[in-house]
Amino acid sequence: MRKPDGKIVLLGDMNVGKTSLLQRYMERRFPDTVSTVGGAFYLKQWRSYNISIWDTAGREQFHGLGSMYCRGAVAVILTYDVSHPQSLAELEDRFLGLTDTASKDCLFAIVGNKVDLTEEGAPEGREGEGCSPRQAGGGPTSPRVPKQVRLEDAMAFYKKILKYKTLDEKNVPAAEQMCFETSAKTGHNVDLLFETLFDMVVPMILRQRAEELSQTVDITSYKPPKRTRSGCCA
Amino acid sequence: MMNIKAFTLVCAVERELLVAGKECVSIECVECCGRDLYVGTNDGFIYHFLLEEKPVPTGTATFTATKQLHRHLGFKKPVNELRAASALNRLLVLCDNSITLANMLSLEPVPSGARIKGASTFALNENPVSGDPFCVEVCIIPVKRRTIQMFLVYEDRVQIVKEVSTPEQPLAVAVDGHFLCLALSTQYIILNYSSGVSQDLFPYCSEEKRPIVKRIGRQEFLLAGPGGLGMFATVAGISQRAPVHWSENVIGAAVSFPYVIALDDEFITVHSMLDQQQKQTLPFKEGHILQDFEGRVIVATSKGVYILVPLPLEKQIQDLLANRRVEEALVLAKGARRNIPKEKFQVMYRRILQQAGFIQFAQLQFLEAKELFRSGQLDVRELISLYPFLLPTSSSFTRSHPPLHEYADLNQLTQGDQEKMAKCKRFLMSYLNEVRSTEGANGYKEDIDTALLKLYAEANHDSLLDLLVTENFCLLTDSAVWLEKHKKYFALGLLYHYNNQDAAAVQLWVNIVNGDIQDSTRSDVYEYIVDFLTCCVDQELVWAHADWVLQRSEEVGVQVFTKRPLDEQQNSFKPDDIINCLKKYPKALVKYLEHLVMDKRLQKEEYHTHLALLYLEEVLRQRTPASSQGAETTETQAKLRHLLQKSDLYRVHFLIERIQGAGLPMERAILHGKLGEDDKALHILVHELKDFSAAEDYCLWCSEGRDPPRRQRLFHTLLAIYLRAGPSAHELTVAAVDLLNRHATEFDAAQVLQLLPDTWSVQLLCPFLTGAVRNSVHARRTMQVAVGLAKSENLIYTCDKMKLKRSSVRLSDKKLCQMCQNPFCEPVFVRYPNGGLVHTHCAASRHTNPSSPSPGART
Ligand SMILES: Nc1nc2c(ncn2[C@@H]2O[C@H](COP(=O)(O)OP(=O)(O)OP(=O)(O)O)[C@@H](O)[C@H]2O)c(=O)[nH]1
Ligand SMILES: [Mg+2]
Repeated sequence: MRKPDGKIVLLGDMNVGKTSLLQRYMERRFPDTVSTVGGAFYLKQWRSYNISIWDTAGREQFHGLGSMYCRGAVAVILTYDVSHPQSLAELEDRFLGLTDTASKDCLFAIVGNKVDLTEEGAPEGREGEGCSPRQAGGGPTSPRVPKQVRLEDAMAFYKKILKYKTLDEKNVPAAEQMCFETSAKTGHNVDLLFETLFDMVVPMILRQRAEELSQTVDITSYKPPKRTRSGCCA
Repeated sequence: MMNIKAFTLVCAVERELLVAGKECVSIECVECCGRDLYVGTNDGFIYHFLLEEKPVPTGTATFTATKQLHRHLGFKKPVNELRAASALNRLLVLCDNSITLANMLSLEPVPSGARIKGASTFALNENPVSGDPFCVEVCIIPVKRRTIQMFLVYEDRVQIVKEVSTPEQPLAVAVDGHFLCLALSTQYIILNYSSGVSQDLFPYCSEEKRPIVKRIGRQEFLLAGPGGLGMFATVAGISQRAPVHWSENVIGAAVSFPYVIALDDEFITVHSMLDQQQKQTLPFKEGHILQDFEGRVIVATSKGVYILVPLPLEKQIQDLLANRRVEEALVLAKGARRNIPKEKFQVMYRRILQQAGFIQFAQLQFLEAKELFRSGQLDVRELISLYPFLLPTSSSFTRSHPPLHEYADLNQLTQGDQEKMAKCKRFLMSYLNEVRSTEGANGYKEDIDTALLKLYAEANHDSLLDLLVTENFCLLTDSAVWLEKHKKYFALGLLYHYNNQDAAAVQLWVNIVNGDIQDSTRSDVYEYIVDFLTCCVDQELVWAHADWVLQRSEEVGVQVFTKRPLDEQQNSFKPDDIINCLKKYPKALVKYLEHLVMDKRLQKEEYHTHLALLYLEEVLRQRTPASSQGAETTETQAKLRHLLQKSDLYRVHFLIERIQGAGLPMERAILHGKLGEDDKALHILVHELKDFSAAEDYCLWCSEGRDPPRRQRLFHTLLAIYLRAGPSAHELTVAAVDLLNRHATEFDAAQVLQLLPDTWSVQLLCPFLTGAVRNSVHARRTMQVAVGLAKSENLIYTCDKMKLKRSSVRLSDKKLCQMCQNPFCEPVFVRYPNGGLVHTHCAASRHTNPSSPSPGART
């Protein structure tokens, strides 16, 4: 197993489509998913870098694991369901706090998934209408409904995050760049989301490496997590 | 979920051995160290067994445990934990909240009575930091105090080295270096006991379920998480592996690479750390201990001890492959790299890759198969041998044993499906083509190339010819039979040629051209043969087929003689032999003679005369039917004239004889010219042909490269002919004027003026006269200059002579030759302009004097 160079974590309430987004991107398909237990990850080779992408479980039960998964992450994808306003609220209430362990210059992307379900959603949906057995728990099934969460709401939330992290808007990517509306079902914006992030993450990996090199590594003494890379034999 | 059999459960210590009828006694803890097995019971006994493994050739090993000793600790409390420190020969015994040290063999407590009191549980540091081989590092969790304590335990003493307080009461601990992984009452943390820094991992409710903390390798721990998760965490507080999913009520976990094993009240479950999948489930009731000891996994109920014997990884991998679970097999194999000696691993891994390759191949997943074959360094003959008849009969190859796959051949694999078969063949073609130029082909290039040839021939593939005309190792007999079978005769010829059997090759091609055998590979086999013979060094072969190629086409066929590479021509083919051979083929003969005369410029009268004669015959032949086309006539005729003009070697008289009366005035004129009979020649041109420009040309080419007077003579002769006719022949008069005006410089003007009739106006001859005057003026002036120069040169010499004569040289005995230093005995000497005197013979022996290169001699 090769040690990843950087970590991206998907967070969000259960059923918003985190696993589906990842599978759409990594395996180019939209299979039926089961609610994630614990977490899972994929390794993605991007240029010469290995990026690990962690899919976390949205279920309340596994909420406590989030902090550990986020530790040292270079980017966090906060996912909600556009047809389900509560899922955006949950991001702020439950998930934002988990990202405290992430790398200090961690990037945040806000992703509204399932746009195919909404009236103005991506029109390229060609596959059969949502036939997933788990649809009941999430947003309403077809026919299309008015979009419940507007992109502006997501952008407002993004700005809130910056405040929460006491980040200066000038030093981080703009909200327009970091708020996406996607559909794992049709694939709308999915590549764009991940690849935009990968491209942003690469310079961060380089910066982290440079920082690591500039420090004398003393494996016998403990290092704060944001700087330490585990020396585990991977 | 598909299962594999990773472990089998075998019994190690049966209940009779232990409890012997005492129903209430139960096993409390287990320790295993090498072959020593220790069991602690709830009634204060420690038992020592010796484990003996009995390997069974086919199947799982069995174990027998022989009881060595048992000792009672002295009070009726359960033995909570046992840990061996084999370097110290000590057993650490936790009983009644105190850790005592006992001898590993006698089980007697150490005489010093050293002990650690108030411990609820403890863990050994398997990655010690002290560097002292005579102690072990032990972390204990004291009873009811929010701290942990680090001890160094020696043979007969213990020493506390650190105490660190914790935010909550610790319940379980595992140690790696300076890092402790602790289960507190509501969460797991990583604590660096030397720096005191701690790091939260994740919350966990210890009241609901007992926590599990297990070191699984360098700097990595396995923890029981919420929802029955087995969570991995490193000392840096991050997770590098996805969690495994256990049941909600796990009570113990152990690791036997690459598997994580978990125990609940009903089952032992096995998950792979490589892909987090559950691989095996073994029913096991009432188990309450699951631990691994240096790779040996032991489970125990309260009454018996069992060992989980891992199946050899190779066997597991083979099982996976047998079920076509390629991906998993490869993951497992790769994961095993660390646990198997390098050489052995490589051999094993290569074989697995090859097997996996065949599985993919059988599913027509060629890309994947190729990659696997390549990385597995497959002996390609394994693949070739799947295809019937492709390996040469002489090949020594036998398939590896045990076999890499289950297929007898391609027919079986494709079950006769022609389309699949064709796909497989196409794959093999491209694969062999790639492989043949790599190192992997070494040692069996013959097998590869022969197989490739067969595939190409069968598929009618263009590359067949490329293969045969470049370096290859196709075996002759095998390939020949195959090519014949598939009627690839042209290719077969190439094969013969490659094997230095040119005669056979050419014969085969000749047969194709003759239509005796059919092969449409090329439409230009005849031209190919000609080219081939042209470059062929085997003279006999060329002679053998010379008639055949010439019969088909004289012009093309003759190339075997005319186009031969230069370097080879000199000493091999004799022109006379060739000419002899070409007698029957006039066109070819002409071509060949042209080649000798024009291209090779052979200066041999015979060839030149022969060629001229052939041209002439041709011209004559073409003339006889009066209606014949003009264009072609002129072509041969032009050639003839050209030859007659340019060559000086042919027999002129002979040709004049032949040409007599043939009505070829131009040619006759040329021949007369060659004989120096300019008058005759020009007469013909002027009077017979009335071709004045030809007459002028004649004057020019005839005098080309000769002395100028000859040219003048020619022009005067021509002029004379023109003028002789008198003024009545108006035409000739005009020709004469034109000649003079155009070639003014070729004439001696003075002579011409006397010849010209008085009636001609100056105007008429203006260009001639101007030219003549210019010429003569120019000549005069040049002469004057030359005279002037000659005079001045003469003066200079006279002056020099005067100077030299002015003084005299006196010879005496004292004057010595400057070169040999001897006196002059005769009144003869050489004097250099610088005054030096030498003997004449000395001067002759040394021509040059550095200071005066031009000696002036004087007697
Ligand atoms: N129409 C539609 N349905 C989607 C989309 N993405 C996911 N779903 C459906 O939503 C349900 C939940 O998807 P998951 O990807 O499992 O959700 P999750 O966020 O991973 O959920 P947890 O693992 O429980 O946290 C599934 O039934 C999916 O088929 C989408 O873009 N459009
Ligand atoms: Mg999921």
